[in-house]
Amino acid sequence: MEQAVLFCENVQKSESDRIQALRLHESKYHEGGGIAMYVIKAEDLSKTFRVRVKEKGMRGSIRAILHPQVKEVKAVDNVTFAVEEGEMLAFIGPNGAGKSTTIKMLTGILYPDGGSVNVLGLDPIKSRKQLAHRIGTVFGQKEQLWTHLTPYDNFRFFGAIYDFSDKETEERIEELAERFELEAFINTPVRNLSLGQRIRCEIVASLIHNPSVLFLDEPTIGLDPVVKENIRELIKQMNRDYHTTIFLTSHDVGDIEKLCKRIIIVNAGQIVLDDSMEHLKRHYMKQKTQQAKDGNQPDTSGADISLEDIIMEIYQAEGRRIE
Amino acid sequence: MLTAVRMQLRVCLLSVKYNIMREMLNPVTFVTNVVFMILNDAAILVQWFILFRLRGDIGGYTMKEVMLLWGLTAASFGLSRVLFTRVFSLPELIISGKLDSYLVQPKNVLLSVMTSATNISAIGDFLYGLILLVACGFSVSRLCLFLLFTVTGTVIITAFALLLGSLSFWFVRADMLGNQMVSGMISFMTYPDGIFRGISRFLLYFVIPVGMAVYHPVHIMTEFDVKMFFEVIGYAVLLMAAAMIVFYRGLRRYSSSSLMEARM
Repeated sequence: MEQAVLFCENVQKSESDRIQALRLHESKYHEGGGIAMYVIKAEDLSKTFRVRVKEKGMRGSIRAILHPQVKEVKAVDNVTFAVEEGEMLAFIGPNGAGKSTTIKMLTGILYPDGGSVNVLGLDPIKSRKQLAHRIGTVFGQKEQLWTHLTPYDNFRFFGAIYDFSDKETEERIEELAERFELEAFINTPVRNLSLGQRIRCEIVASLIHNPSVLFLDEPTIGLDPVVKENIRELIKQMNRDYHTTIFLTSHDVGDIEKLCKRIIIVNAGQIVLDDSMEHLKRHYMKQKTQQAKDGNQPDTSGADISLEDIIMEIYQAEGRRIE
Repeated sequence: MLTAVRMQLRVCLLSVKYNIMREMLNPVTFVTNVVFMILNDAAILVQWFILFRLRGDIGGYTMKEVMLLWGLTAASFGLSRVLFTRVFSLPELIISGKLDSYLVQPKNVLLSVMTSATNISAIGDFLYGLILLVACGFSVSRLCLFLLFTVTGTVIITAFALLLGSLSFWFVRADMLGNQMVSGMISFMTYPDGIFRGISRFLLYFVIPVGMAVYHPVHIMTEFDVKMFFEVIGYAVLLMAAAMIVFYRGLRRYSSSSLMEARM
């Protein structure tokens, strides 16, 4: 396990280099020569929650009234990263790592305590409404659709929210229904749809205004493997056809592996890794080979590397570091 | 600016329309809810008939004025619950982190939240208010004043509930205080103000805004007074402004949550 900690530290080095590079160059040049357009930029982003502490039992409850005690929990701690236009990024971490809190600060739901955040050139707090016109959000655990209405009526409502005329909304619904194959159930009340169809409609509802950035917070939670695959295909299609930037959080390694080229791992509110999927695997493999050479680990250089194993190892290493 | 207001109103009206459509999914339940609310309100008025048989004057009010008081209370409270019923459950939305979906929409958060649900039996309250107005003696000028004061009453009740509900951004069980105060306000609105003296009268005019919601309007409808008229309008505007300031200050402290939820 010491090797896992070492691996994590090594990768962290590359992550800190990346942050430094980001700070030095607001918009740097790609290898191909084009300008890298950052659609999301977070610098030293922090959020602390004040949580009431109560001792157990009735005595604890009385004591909490007389001498209330509050504990500060740093949900996000000086997080810095940037996301390029059209990128598909996995923002992952164990439960309570600060993923959802970060997404909520990026979308203007929560006020940051420190640092700065910029999405599509806008401050999510100061320009919440303008930003909402240009981003889409899907929270897998929270439904936005009215369950007694059909997807069609829901889309009409969302069209009105984004100031579309009836004609514009109709055209958009027609386009999305055809592209994402919703025709079969677009006039069925949402409460009568299967979970997969419902999530599909949730995602399409968030696309009605053609957002430039889509925030997906565990979009495949509770879905069966076939439906998960359909949803992933839909996300890929959005990215391909509309060049939508995807900011994804998920506990499902399949989502990450099949969708994203870059991965950011957070733990205890801090970024512990920010790397491309390809580099992460290569780096891990190199590390394993070195360990095998040193005689610390069996030689696994020919074996298939599972992303799940890598992530688990990083989570475990980080968990011990915090303990 | 005007376009933004028009677009916001369009969404609010659509939201109210969809809410009513949801309630009308079962027409029998819809109609019985409305009718039974009217009957329920009417049953309470019977005790006032009995009281006025024993005494001709209670707190300076005659039976007609009590009916006007009841009518205005029912119509204001009814309209507030039809259009803005979510404001009465604001503490629950704040505590359980259910404001997220409104915060990611490019619309006014407060209006979107307030109009996101309706209370169908409150239509019965509103209709009952109009029935009582007709029973008190109908005239066009009276109807205009009644409708205007129903609007100011709705604004005052909604603002008071919003003000107290927003305290949940700061205090965990502020909902208990809020519910008690709003229930107290509705109860006091149905009694003639003449029976209150001293500190209770002071409280009803300056702490719980019953005086400006119904007492002043009833006096104006009985005997028109320009000063009182503008006091009511000004008070409604100021109270709503104060409630909005408190809500938006509180929103900065909103902490959301990861609870599973569905829009029902």
